[in-house]
Amino acid sequence: MLSIKNLQVELEEEDKQILKGIDLEIGEGEVHAIMGPNGSGKSTTSYVLAGKAGYKVTAGSAELYGNDLLDMNPEERAAAGLFLAFQYPVEIPGVGNMTFLRTAVNAQRKARGEDELSAGQFLKIVREKAKSLKIDADMLKRPVNVGFSGGEKKRNEILQMAMLEPKMCVLDETDSGLDVDAMKLVAEGVNALRDGKRSFLVITHYQRLLDHIKPDVVHIMANGRIIKSGGPELALEVEENGYADILAEVA
Amino acid sequence: MAIIHPKLSGAANLVANYPMPYGAKWANDIRTNAITAFNAQGAPHKRDEYWRYTDPSELTVVPTKPAALFSNDESPMFDLVDCIRIVFVDGIIDTDRSDDLSLIGASIEMLSDVTSTDIHWAKDLYGKLESNGQNPVHRPLAALNTAVAGHGLVIHVTSKCDKPLAINYVHNSETSDVMLHHIIKIDEGAEFTLLESGAGAARFNSVIEVDVSDDAEFHHVRTQGRDHERKTVTHLFGRLGHRSIFRSFTMTMNGILTRNDAVLEFTGDDAKATVAGACAGDGNNFHHDDTVFVTHDSINCESRQVFKKVLRNGATGVFQGKILVKADAQKTDGYQISQGLLLDENSNFLAKPELEIYADDVACSHGSTVGAIDEDALFYLASRGVPRKQAQDMLVLAFLAEAIEEIDNNDLANDIRDRLTAWMEHG
Amino acid sequence: MTDMIAKDGVEAETVAAVKSLSGKYKYGFSTDVEIEYAPLGLNEDIVRLISDKNEEPEWMLEWRLQAFERWKQMKEPEWAMVDYPKINFQDIYYYARPKSMSEEKPKSLDDVDPKLLETYAKLGIPLKEQALLAGVEAPEGERKVAVDAVFDSVSVGTTFQKELKQAGVIFMSISEALKEHPELVKKYIGSVVPQSDNFYATLNSAVFSDGSFVYIPEGVKCPMELSTYFRINAENTGQFERTLIIAEKGSSVSYLEGCTAPQRDVAQLHAAVVELVILEDAEIKYSTVQNWYPGDENGKGGIYNFVTKRADCRGDRAKVMWTQVETGSAVTWKYPSCILRGDYSQGEFYSIAIANNMQQADTGTKMIHLGKNTKSRIVSKGISAGKAQNTYRGLVSMHPKASNARNYTQCDSLLIGDKCGAHTVPYIEVKNNTARVEHEATTSKVDDDQLFYCRQRGMDEEEAVALVVNGFCKEVLQALPMEFAMEAQALVAISLEGSVG
Repeated sequence: MLSIKNLQVELEEEDKQILKGIDLEIGEGEVHAIMGPNGSGKSTTSYVLAGKAGYKVTAGSAELYGNDLLDMNPEERAAAGLFLAFQYPVEIPGVGNMTFLRTAVNAQRKARGEDELSAGQFLKIVREKAKSLKIDADMLKRPVNVGFSGGEKKRNEILQMAMLEPKMCVLDETDSGLDVDAMKLVAEGVNALRDGKRSFLVITHYQRLLDHIKPDVVHIMANGRIIKSGGPELALEVEENGYADILAEVA
Repeated sequence: MAIIHPKLSGAANLVANYPMPYGAKWANDIRTNAITAFNAQGAPHKRDEYWRYTDPSELTVVPTKPAALFSNDESPMFDLVDCIRIVFVDGIIDTDRSDDLSLIGASIEMLSDVTSTDIHWAKDLYGKLESNGQNPVHRPLAALNTAVAGHGLVIHVTSKCDKPLAINYVHNSETSDVMLHHIIKIDEGAEFTLLESGAGAARFNSVIEVDVSDDAEFHHVRTQGRDHERKTVTHLFGRLGHRSIFRSFTMTMNGILTRNDAVLEFTGDDAKATVAGACAGDGNNFHHDDTVFVTHDSINCESRQVFKKVLRNGATGVFQGKILVKADAQKTDGYQISQGLLLDENSNFLAKPELEIYADDVACSHGSTVGAIDEDALFYLASRGVPRKQAQDMLVLAFLAEAIEEIDNNDLANDIRDRLTAWMEHG
Repeated sequence: MTDMIAKDGVEAETVAAVKSLSGKYKYGFSTDVEIEYAPLGLNEDIVRLISDKNEEPEWMLEWRLQAFERWKQMKEPEWAMVDYPKINFQDIYYYARPKSMSEEKPKSLDDVDPKLLETYAKLGIPLKEQALLAGVEAPEGERKVAVDAVFDSVSVGTTFQKELKQAGVIFMSISEALKEHPELVKKYIGSVVPQSDNFYATLNSAVFSDGSFVYIPEGVKCPMELSTYFRINAENTGQFERTLIIAEKGSSVSYLEGCTAPQRDVAQLHAAVVELVILEDAEIKYSTVQNWYPGDENGKGGIYNFVTKRADCRGDRAKVMWTQVETGSAVTWKYPSCILRGDYSQGEFYSIAIANNMQQADTGTKMIHLGKNTKSRIVSKGISAGKAQNTYRGLVSMHPKASNARNYTQCDSLLIGDKCGAHTVPYIEVKNNTARVEHEATTSKVDDDQLFYCRQRGMDEEEAVALVVNGFCKEVLQALPMEFAMEAQALVAISLEGSVG
């Protein structure tokens, strides 16, 4: 479903190459993890897939179900089924969380030629999904992410994921800033969305999130490249020995 | 009989009052242009928008009213700082009380000497920043100064100076009416610190033009004398080159009328400027006005305006500040805060903090608050045994602290704090 | 909970509105009715003619003539940050009314020229006495809005007069009030905005042709929302309306006004005066959605909107709330003000000013605190896009006797695009130490991260901007009555069309 080939990316403002040729194939229903030290290009990968400004793709391609992602606007990518759970979800003062969600859901439905949800239908679904993520009515009322704790922000991201029902979910350091309980809650939310068809790309610095969201494939990324791929055992290896050994081994 | 507009008749009186000094041709040309500009503008008037909160008549009446001399036992300002000292008495340098005009990293000359020299670099700076600063707001008293000031210092800073230059302005005659004009050129990468203190004269009008080249730094700390009857108008014009730094702090106590204009223009990218002031005013004769105009015309610059005024017994404090961001001055970070603390019911705080912004990628903000001292805090201190007067002084100092913190030299900042404490004791 | 959905749902409607309304200015049509004009230009005869057409008492004419004499001595104000070609005051028609409204005035709305009724129907303003503004669902079903419709120089009709009369409320055009309640008009007109207040107010005093008059007797809560809908239709015509609202002790009223004009190439002048008199314990809520034709994207045409609005809180605990959504007009010059005379009186000002394309807005408020324990609050949200210039200008003045007075001001500007300007010119004057003033202002551009976040969730750029801007304005939108809040939200989005990309 997601097919990335030789993806090379530079920063737009300075002459600096961040991604030096990424290849990644994620099949339907698969969960892949990307691990790697800070500055290896993990977050950049997620931003480039979602279409954040400031990056220049100099070579390669990224396709979702055969559609060229790199040729689309961010919202078109979202409508095509790509969802990014941000590492630092943005605060939007004055915009109610509910309004935001409903606007997003209906925009995507519209883009896909589906009928918009009525206020009633929408409310019913949101309440159901919010409940399982322990998001209370108050959080839904407040402005988007404003005054949310770290855990609340991440749960809110997962709620959006649940509401938008994407095909391909990219989770960027979703575990950062979370304690164990919050992480479990988030992981349960993600696991509940695993239905055999939806795919996931979990970007993380630590192995601990992968205890809760079991990956099929683990990739190690360093210096803008995927330097090693393997099964879940690779994550454990990192946990035990750090990145140094793998880096040395590849070098 | 023809009716002469009060602004223009005031202008004519003033011009007649100050003879234009003799100088070389270039100096004569500059002064003649300045007098033409001044005559066209006329004398400032309280109907002018930028004098709406301050009546300038004390600054324009001819002759000036006498001002009693102030003396106290305190040690002179900046006496603990290792610096070169220059003393002006009623506008004339007192060579006996001044150090030699030699400072490592800079050359210092007298304006009167320079303007009678046929060829001098000063011809490209004298009056230049002042005349640039006449738009969009007229500053007639600065134009007049350029035209008629015969004395001042001409400083060329070529590298990092090893010590500050401290100028002390002594007020010695009850009727002195003085204009001084300094120009300071700071070369690339050079650094200079100017300290100023004293009342200067019964009526004192100063212009300082500072050209800060790329990567250069200018630091300025000023205290305005405690003479209760003095009248002061100052103009600080600054131009900032790439990556330059400009920091100015002024403390004002007493005086009938003080008007401090600061006019800064960013012409280079990535530069930073701060203009700050702490003012403590006492009595209904006290009137203090800070008028600041910062123009951003380059990219990624940062400007701060921080002004705090404590006012009691009918004193009046004024702040007029403007941040102008021109269309191409993207990534500007402009900040402005003005706060008044009114210690009794007769005091006034008047403010007009403006933003005028033509570039979109900017973060500009201003805040202004006015209020009385926090009774809860006073009570809390009292309940811990601090007498009311002392508690109030503590809170006043705490209030002024944000402005004083803009001084990056700790010794100077402490000196300022001590003198404020003394002011609260003795006035 | 249902309430929350209703409010939140509004923004989704906004976004839908953006999509459905592809035309730029929805109210730009003109109505083809026969118009009767006064001769072009302004002189004493014109002033007499207007007074005569309205069959006014002699004192009113004298008052007008006095104003006209003063006006001739006055100069146009130049201090605002707006720039427009000099107005030729002799090249304007000062009086225009549909022929059908002349001579024999229609006795009831049923007799009004169907073309005029159609105009208001097209604008979404019901002149039939139905409960609601068109297309808007009221939350609790039964809310009624009484409408006074002003077309060019005259009032076309006022709805629900009977029902209001029962409650003791007087709501009629000011020309009618001059006939039916001259003593009330005489007592209050010019008492808040003096005849010689400023150039445009003085002009208005001389040539105002109509407007609304509201009188709420002691202790009466007005049983429904009152509204006036202003429509400029005739070409080359100035509209000079005068509104006077009096709230007696302990009474309250919520009043709305809306304004639109046809799309024309030549700029037109609108110079109104609004006076509010608020006595002890009374309350007036005054909301405006100003959507005069803004001119085209090159600055051609549009309304010059020079308006003087002032509320006088004469009694203790009197309260006034101004809410304005200013999206239209080529040039706006408007400072709805509050004189807080009574002790414990309160003034509030909530404003959204949007300037797009070549529009210029210089708007804000004055809060004059005279009484003890008076309170005021200013929330201003300015949005600049295109090549527009948008200025907030305001005064907070604490007089020596205003002990314990309070003001809080929040003044935010948002820039969309790099060709526009946003300016803030506040005046703060404090002469009482127990008074407290807090003023905050910020200027920034639309946050790219917020836009990207919205777009990642599937919204297109215009939707994202509309959403973020509506969030930016939220506090003010919430201050509007429900019926207007929705209209205003949609308007915010429409006004910014074409501002991105």
